[in-house]
This record gives sequence, structure tokens and C-alpha cells, in this order.
Amino acid sequence: MKYSKLILKNILRNKRRTFLTISSLVVSLFLIITLATILTEFTRGSKEANPMRLITRHSVSLAFPLPVAYQQRIAAVPGVKHVTPFSWFGGIYKDEKNFFANFAVDPRILRDITPEVKMPEDQWQGFINDRQGAIVGQKLVTLHGFSVGQRITLKSPIYNADMEFIVRGIYTGGDEKTLYFSHEYLNESLPDWAKDKVGTLFIMASAPSDIPRISQTVDSMFLNTDAPTKTESEREFAQSFEAMMGSVKQFMYGIMAAITFSLLLVMANTMAMSVRERTREVGTLKALGFQRGTIAWLFVGESLLVATVGAALGIGIAVMVFRSIDLSLYIPNFISFIPAPETLAAAFALALFVGVASVIYSARRVSGMTIAEALRSTE
Amino acid sequence: MALPIKYNLRNLTVRKGTTLATAITIGLTVMVYLMVMALARGIDLTLASSGEPLNLIVLRNGSTAELNSNVSREQLNALTYLDGIERDGDQPLAAPESITLIYRARKGMSQGSNITIRGIGPVSSRLRSGFSLVSGRMFQQGLAEAIVSRRIAERFQGMEIGDKFRIQATDYTVVGLFDAGGKAFESEIWVDVNSLNSTTKRDSFTSVLLRVPDRATMDALEKRISDDQRLQLKAVSERKFYEDQQGTASGILKGLGVFISFIMAVGAGFAGMNTMYAAVARRTKEVGTLRVLGFSRRSIMTAFVLESVFIAVIGVGIGILLALPLNLVSTGTSNFVTFSEIAFNFRVTPDLMLSALIFGAGIGLFGSLLPSLRASRFKIVDALRAS
Repeated sequence: MKYSKLILKNILRNKRRTFLTISSLVVSLFLIITLATILTEFTRGSKEANPMRLITRHSVSLAFPLPVAYQQRIAAVPGVKHVTPFSWFGGIYKDEKNFFANFAVDPRILRDITPEVKMPEDQWQGFINDRQGAIVGQKLVTLHGFSVGQRITLKSPIYNADMEFIVRGIYTGGDEKTLYFSHEYLNESLPDWAKDKVGTLFIMASAPSDIPRISQTVDSMFLNTDAPTKTESEREFAQSFEAMMGSVKQFMYGIMAAITFSLLLVMANTMAMSVRERTREVGTLKALGFQRGTIAWLFVGESLLVATVGAALGIGIAVMVFRSIDLSLYIPNFISFIPAPETLAAAFALALFVGVASVIYSARRVSGMTIAEALRSTE
Repeated sequence: MALPIKYNLRNLTVRKGTTLATAITIGLTVMVYLMVMALARGIDLTLASSGEPLNLIVLRNGSTAELNSNVSREQLNALTYLDGIERDGDQPLAAPESITLIYRARKGMSQGSNITIRGIGPVSSRLRSGFSLVSGRMFQQGLAEAIVSRRIAERFQGMEIGDKFRIQATDYTVVGLFDAGGKAFESEIWVDVNSLNSTTKRDSFTSVLLRVPDRATMDALEKRISDDQRLQLKAVSERKFYEDQQGTASGILKGLGVFISFIMAVGAGFAGMNTMYAAVARRTKEVGTLRVLGFSRRSIMTAFVLESVFIAVIGVGIGILLALPLNLVSTGTSNFVTFSEIAFNFRVTPDLMLSALIFGAGIGLFGSLLPSLRASRFKIVDALRAS
């Protein structure tokens, strides 16, 4: 690019304006990346679902429990490798502010059902062998300073019960803001009306192709009982949760569109001012023999360069901020808050689009003037 | 001496394109602010209006929502003999209620959400002002019949009069549609409490709603029930009960709204600064002339600040115009306290519009301070010599 020096000089001519335009780009892109990351996390559950995993719940609503005896009956269905209770305890640690998920499971089966949960072998053994044992995710350690051997009391408003656990392991992978403990221990501790029930059952199939058959077999097995079931793949289960959020997705897209449009206006306005101020210069360039196309490209190049610098800074700042402050610690269900590479690529593409789209009109107009018109301009 | 306002207005019309672009940028920021806040306001207003000032709701001690509460028949009996409950003749205005959830698909979608089914007693609807049947009839006691709020019928599949839906093993028929004056009950389906209890094989209730004659009785009764060691129940004013549910959903929304609109405002402020710097630069000579004519530095500065605030106010107007149609939009999301659908309208209220005006004018002010300061500091000789 033999004109790159000229483009750079033009950009630096009004340093303050370039700085303000780039700043505007940076904050807008930062915001778009943040919102896109929230959207990614909303749908992560269905995107990253384990294709071998199924979830059985009461066919009416998650609010109703299933008899614990279903576990044995489902385990006997051909193609089912493992089944574990997965019951929401709703326990609160000290204060409601400290909300985190806690589930009662079968400790012997958990590692087979959730292969994404990783922990040293001795901690698994410790968890399996201690009826009162619990394991916590790494992020709970960051938040509350849990350590192996520590006693934790959770108070559950659902059962109006306090339960004490001993931390036997700290896992990584999956949602690291969850506490798992033994379903047997839960069952012993509950009053009679709540005994022998599970919230959901998690099933691991032998092969993904078994999923539809297992789901059908299980549901028809319990169809005419007091507690009919609905068995779905983990993906479908997650999708139904995402659907409960209603139109949040469209709402967020609407906001992102408004930000983009406003960014487009900001850039277009700045470029229009820069181009207009240089009308007479364009006349000089034309008189020197510069082609219309070359002149237009000079302006497009200028806008693209500003957009690129803004995009690079915006993306860089977003990545740096979200790497140093892990927002997923504070948002239930969010596994991470690091912008996905696709999000960053899309943000970059968006900036380039804005860069080109914002200058086209001004560049065409000015470069299309005759020499006399341009030189006569009073700007 | 101040410059006439006309001077500012004229200047705005000279560069229509720039003025409009900057105004729209601020307008979009204001629109996004209003969108998010109107959503939060919709949830707030729905829940805040749901509780009657003279109703007490009695739940099991320690429960946080109706779904995990439980009141036995013995407890109900003990409750009805307490002093302070308003009576209609011999009949205490105490309504035992049970709730459960069903999962239904939204219209036009394969996925849906949970809807609250409320089993109500004969006095329940009397304890809730604003209730009215809009079509069909009331369900008959003891039968598997239901009345559905109009909003739920509009948003979910198979909820019109004559349709059937299943609760556990029993099919209920929709016999009427009702309105509840914009309250949370507009997201519910109502059936007979005894019928619901036999369907769900439950011998107890989830909560009891009590009516008291006045505020003082209310406080006394609230204390009386919550302090009774044998009852193991707690009483909360119905108003407070619903207000507490706002916290989660609308709190997150408000936080998000402030965050998004603040960042957008910074971006729009930079854009405003660019516009104003350009305006100042273009009018350098003019400023010099004005100074020669005797206008002070301060009035020059005021003029530029005012100009920017004018642009911002035009922007606020655009933003409000864009956001106002939201008032017609009804939407729904899940209330994660109750795990069920809550339907509500966006509410762009006058006080929200006022805060949008202040917010937008603030962006204009922020964007204009530095450029105006610069204009006021020109030396007359230099300014007049500018090209």
C-alpha cells in the first residue's frame, strides 16, 4: 500500500477526534462482547450437553418428586449403563446471598454420570466412603474458602432441615459452583413426608443411538402410575430450561442491534465531518491527477484503519477484563465468562463492517465532485 | 449578557445531518435504557399490586415460597379460631389454598414454561380485588373444572374455553377466562381447592389467606401466628410477600439496565464531544466576532453547552418515541422464586421518562463541557484570524 503513509497522516491530523471515535468504538464493542457472552452462557447447557446423558423427571413439573424406587427399575432397562438420583436440595450456606446449587446424588455413580467432573482418585474414595461426605467445585473454594475436611452446614427451606457435610473433595470441570452429597444421607435426614423421593434421575446410556429407545421405555413403564415420567436427552432438558427464560434472547439481540446502529451513526458522523473538511484537498488531489477510485479508497482505508484499531482495543480490553474478573463466580449456572473466539471474531467483523459502511456515502460524494466544485468549497 | 436561544436553535438547523446523527445516537441510548427499565418496572408493578394491603398469607415456618410451604388441616382449624380475622357472619374470611405447577408449551413454540395452578376456596376470590370473569363461567366446586387467566390463554397452547389439560391423572376442562387487574394472578389457572387436593393426593394446603379489618389487627395477628410455637407457621402481609419476589428478576434487570446504558452513554458522550469540537472549530471566527461584540467568555461557554443539551433533548424525544410502543407489548418470563410463568407488560411510566430526560441531558452536558471550555478560551485576535 503506497498510500498507507498518507492514510496514517490523515488519521493523526485531528488526534483528538480520532481518539474520541476509537474510544466510542472500544466501549461499544466491549458492551456487545459482554452481551454476546451472556447469551452464549444462556445456551451453553443445550450446546454442550452430553449426548449419552438422559434426565428423567415427573411428567407434570420439576416441582414434583419421583419415587426413589424408579432408580432400580430404570437401571434394568437395556442400554442403560448408570442411573443416579439427582435431587435439588436448595440448601443455603449461612446467608441467601451465598446461593449455590447443591444436589443429592449417588456418590458411587456420579463420576460415571458426569465424566466432565474431575477429581483425584483418593478424594473420590473419600467421598464414596463417607456417608456425610460432600464434594465442592473449585469456584466454591474461591468464593467461600472451602477446604477438604471442613464441615459445612446447609439449611434447606424446601425441607425445613439443616444438614451438616464434611468436604471430601474439590473437583474441577462442569459447573464448579455446585456441591454434591449423598442421597442416602439426605433420605435418612428427612422427615417421613419427604423420604424415598428424588427430584430427577440422571441416566447414562451405553450409546447415543440408545437414547430414543430408553426414553420411550422408561416413560411407558411409569405411564399409569401416580408419578408418570418425562425422560429427555440432556439437550432437550436444557432447552426447556432455556425456553423458561421467555423472550430474553430476542430482547438481548434487540439491544445489540441498537448498539450497532448507534455505533454506525457515530462513525458515519465523524467520517462525514472529516471528509467534508477536506473537500478542497480533494480538489487539489484531483488536479494533481488522482483518480476518483483512489481518492475514495483513501477515505475507506482511513475509516477501516480506525475501525481496526478500535476493534483490536475493544476486544483486547474485553478479554483482559473478563480474564482477570471471573463474572461466572457470581452468576448462577454460568460456567465461564470468557468471551468465545467466535464472539470475538464476530465483533471484529462487525467493526470492519461499520468501518466500511460508515464512510461509503461521504467518500462517494466527495470523490465524485469535479475539481472546480471541490476547490470552490467553503468548508 | 447571554446569547439569545435563537442563536443556538439556528445553529442546530445549519448542520441538520450532524445534529440528527448525534441526537439519534443519544436517542438509542435512551431507548435501550427505557427498554430494560420498563421491563423491570413491569415486573415490579405486577408483583407490587398483587398483594392486598389487608391480607395476611400464612405459610409453613421456614418456607420461602408457596411451593415449598405446607399447612395441615389441624393448623388450618387452629387458625380459623384466632381473634382478629374478619368474619362474614359466622364465616371467617380465611381461604386455604393449594398450588401446583403444570408445564405447557407456549403458542407457536414446542417449548414452554410452568404455569401455576391455584386451588382456591369459596372465599378466595372475595379476598382478591380486581378479579372478574371475562368469559365463560366459574368452575363448580368439587368438579375437575378450571378458569384460566386471559393472559395465560393468550400465551399458551390449548387453554381456551372447552380445552382440556391434565394434572397428574385427571383431565380438567377450561370453563371460563378471568382478569385480575394486572396482578400476578393473571399468570395463573384457578381450580377448586378440594378437587385439586384429591387430584394431587394431598391432605394439606400450601397456604392460607386471611383478611383482617385494619392495619393494627394485622400486625398483632402476624405476631400472634409467627410467635406460636405449636403452630409452626409464619404470617406475612400479602403485600410484602409479593414485593419480596421482585428482588431477583427485576433486580438483575435493573443492574443490567444501568450497566448497559452507562456504557452506551459513555460511547454517545464521546460522539457528542466530537460533534461539539467540530462545531467549535467551524465557528472559531464567529466566536471571535461575538467576543468583540462584548459577549463574555461565560456566555460563549453557556451557548455551546446549551446547544449540546438541546441536541440531547431531541435525542431523548426520539428515544422515548421509540420506546413508548413497548407499553403495548405483553411478555412473560419465569419467576425463579416460584419456578413458574409470570406475565406482565412493559411499563414506560412518566417517572421513567423523566429519568430518561435527565440521563440524556446528562450525556449532552458531559459531551459539551470540554469543547465549550475550549471555545470560551479563544483569544479574540487568534479567533478572528482563523481561516
